[in-house]
Amino acid sequence: MKTVEAWSAEDVSDWLNKEGMPEYIKVLHQTDGPALLSLTKADFTVPPLSRVSPDGGEQLLERIEILQIETHIEDHKNGHANGHIGGIPNGTSKLQRNGTLGRKDFETKIRIPIPTVEPPRSSFPTEWGKTGIAFIYAIICFVTTTVVISVVHERVPPKEHTPPLPDKFFDLFDRREWAFSICEINGMLLVGLWLIQWILLKHRSIIGRRFFFIVGTLYLYRCITMYITTLPVPGMHFKCSPKLLGNWEAQMRRIMKMIAGGGLSITGSHTMCGDYLYSGHTVMLTLTFLFIKEYSPRRFWYYHWFCLVLSAFGIFCILLAHDHYTVDVVVAYFITTRLFWWYHTMANQQSLKETSQSNLLSRVWWYRLFQYFEENVNGTVPRNYQLPLSARAFHWNHAVKYSRLDIQ
Amino acid sequence: MASPELGNAGDSSTHNLNSGMEDGSVPGTNKTCPVHVSAEEEAKRSFPKGIARHDYVKISVPESKVNHLPTEWWKTVIAFFYAAFNLVLTTVVLTVVHERVPPKESSPPLPDKFFDYIDRVKWAFTVTEINGMVLVAIWLIQLFFFKYKSIACRRFFFLIGTLYLYRCVTMYVTTLPVPGMHMNCAPKLQGDTQAKFQRVLQLISGAGLSITNSHLLCGDFLYSGHTVMLTLTYLFIKEYSPKSFWWYHLMCWLLSAVGVLCILVAHEHYTVDVVVAYFITSRLFWWYHTMANLQTLKCSPNNYLTNTWWNPMFNFFERNVQTSVPCSYSWPITWASTCLKNPCKKYSMVQSSRDE
Repeated sequence: MKTVEAWSAEDVSDWLNKEGMPEYIKVLHQTDGPALLSLTKADFTVPPLSRVSPDGGEQLLERIEILQIETHIEDHKNGHANGHIGGIPNGTSKLQRNGTLGRKDFETKIRIPIPTVEPPRSSFPTEWGKTGIAFIYAIICFVTTTVVISVVHERVPPKEHTPPLPDKFFDLFDRREWAFSICEINGMLLVGLWLIQWILLKHRSIIGRRFFFIVGTLYLYRCITMYITTLPVPGMHFKCSPKLLGNWEAQMRRIMKMIAGGGLSITGSHTMCGDYLYSGHTVMLTLTFLFIKEYSPRRFWYYHWFCLVLSAFGIFCILLAHDHYTVDVVVAYFITTRLFWWYHTMANQQSLKETSQSNLLSRVWWYRLFQYFEENVNGTVPRNYQLPLSARAFHWNHAVKYSRLDIQ
Repeated sequence: MASPELGNAGDSSTHNLNSGMEDGSVPGTNKTCPVHVSAEEEAKRSFPKGIARHDYVKISVPESKVNHLPTEWWKTVIAFFYAAFNLVLTTVVLTVVHERVPPKESSPPLPDKFFDYIDRVKWAFTVTEINGMVLVAIWLIQLFFFKYKSIACRRFFFLIGTLYLYRCVTMYVTTLPVPGMHMNCAPKLQGDTQAKFQRVLQLISGAGLSITNSHLLCGDFLYSGHTVMLTLTYLFIKEYSPKSFWWYHLMCWLLSAVGVLCILVAHEHYTVDVVVAYFITSRLFWWYHTMANLQTLKCSPNNYLTNTWWNPMFNFFERNVQTSVPCSYSWPITWASTCLKNPCKKYSMVQSSRDE
């Protein structure tokens, strides 16, 4: 690589192109290397440079300065050492040389100056603290949901008194008993797949935070809709546990049992009735699918299709088992997808992370919480994978040690 | 607002002229997608290569900018038909659902938290409907004086249509029983399509209000159409009026909130109907307007807001609207004043010969 002093006008043009400043090419087409290095701020106040430069030449002058530094380093390198380093890494604005570049015996030693580079601020900081807060938020919402289900259970009208509401799907399809187990198996499979995928992700703290926040908010909304109006049981096949009027201890035990079993009927903890609007099973099936699809490589289309089939069939089985009304499933799907897309669009666009007149997405009640979680995340989280706890292991294996040689 | 833009356009054209650059890209311009051909590039090419020295005053007329907010009334008409179609569909579905509502003797009203605390007040529903009519009237008056009526109208029709479409779906799939024993449902007409058709017409002509005696059908409980209208008109009034009119916004907010509360006080809808209606209306409104206002979202690859089913329709309506609609008002009838004004004086080119 020849020095800047030896550059011709053509080299200057090439360099301008490479640096992303094509607007200067025509004006500086007569300028060769030394002339480029001799440009000053004063040159940018008179035409022709004043007309093409949008910022008074600041950016160009800065680049020329970097070029000068690189030139000096090249000078030193060529004069003192036998080898070349492969260029200066991009993005460093200043290079600090540690110590003097004195040379002693260049036949026996090769001095490799290692520039002290300022570590770049990661655009995806891990911030496990925030993930912890999101996890606690999700736990609080789950526990609140269980408590509310327990409360609502007391108010469900008995199925003799209030028959199941007319539902279009129930008119078309009769009940199948095995359907709900399929739904729950699908749900557990999807959650398992998502968990494995999450462990393998590189930015698991950020993504985990998002999952906990969205799941928590959806269950919180569910608490509200369950509580305010109680729908009757969707089918006469339901066996609701007897009501415990006022018996707090028994209710507490029931809540514990439900949390321990995850609210699934396979584990025997789905004995309480009244939690119909909207369907929590649909939320989990839809949300895990959305997260799996979002945070896995695009080319794994077969994997996405498999998960979609699991999810869709699971939701269909909820209705086939006559375990929820159709409107519960529809509303759950709608709220889950909208919340997921809303949150991720806001997280991916920098312009949506600030309140402004045109940003109406910021008017949701959880916007401050969102800003808190996502303020240090710059840009879209890339789909990178990394085995957990393996970073250190790899370093340990591949670190090469350098030792000093004493040669007489 | 006009003069600085003219100045900038003039400067850029003279720069191009003098430095001889024809492909000078101005840093910072974003390519808008969908792609629009700007008029500036065509104007650049038509400039003469050199300015001949003549003895007249050159008044540089800048090239006309592309209109960022085209009116496109035909799109508004399409949106109107979309809304009308959905309203008619709603009435038809309501007539169908009415036949399936379980009688209140066999299916008593569902337990509702609000109804447990607040007993029914008879005149509350009239208050709701009056508030609704007042809000709609205010919105129409505001729209009449709004400068960009066609765009605002289009958005209103589209949102109303979509909300009523969603309502059709939720009404149809599951039928809730009547919220109170006080409700008088019209008798069921099993199979009598002629009478059903008459009912549909009666509903449409009365706009489904009980004041006009067209609120006789039951079964449209999830979700509440009254809440949708109250919330949506308030959101539109607030969005398209000056920020400084806080008293006006507060008044409309009060009208809307009292109206919604009175629906519940009258025991005309379950609480969940009102909550779901408010949620869906506000989310849809904010979603649509954010997509329309932020041009950068249209090009961004990570924009999940485009995953909705109505995105193609959104693109069709908002394709040529390139900025957020400014809040400006004008007298709608302008032809009268232009008739009275003198036509612009015409300037013509003068050829004069120099005396050497």
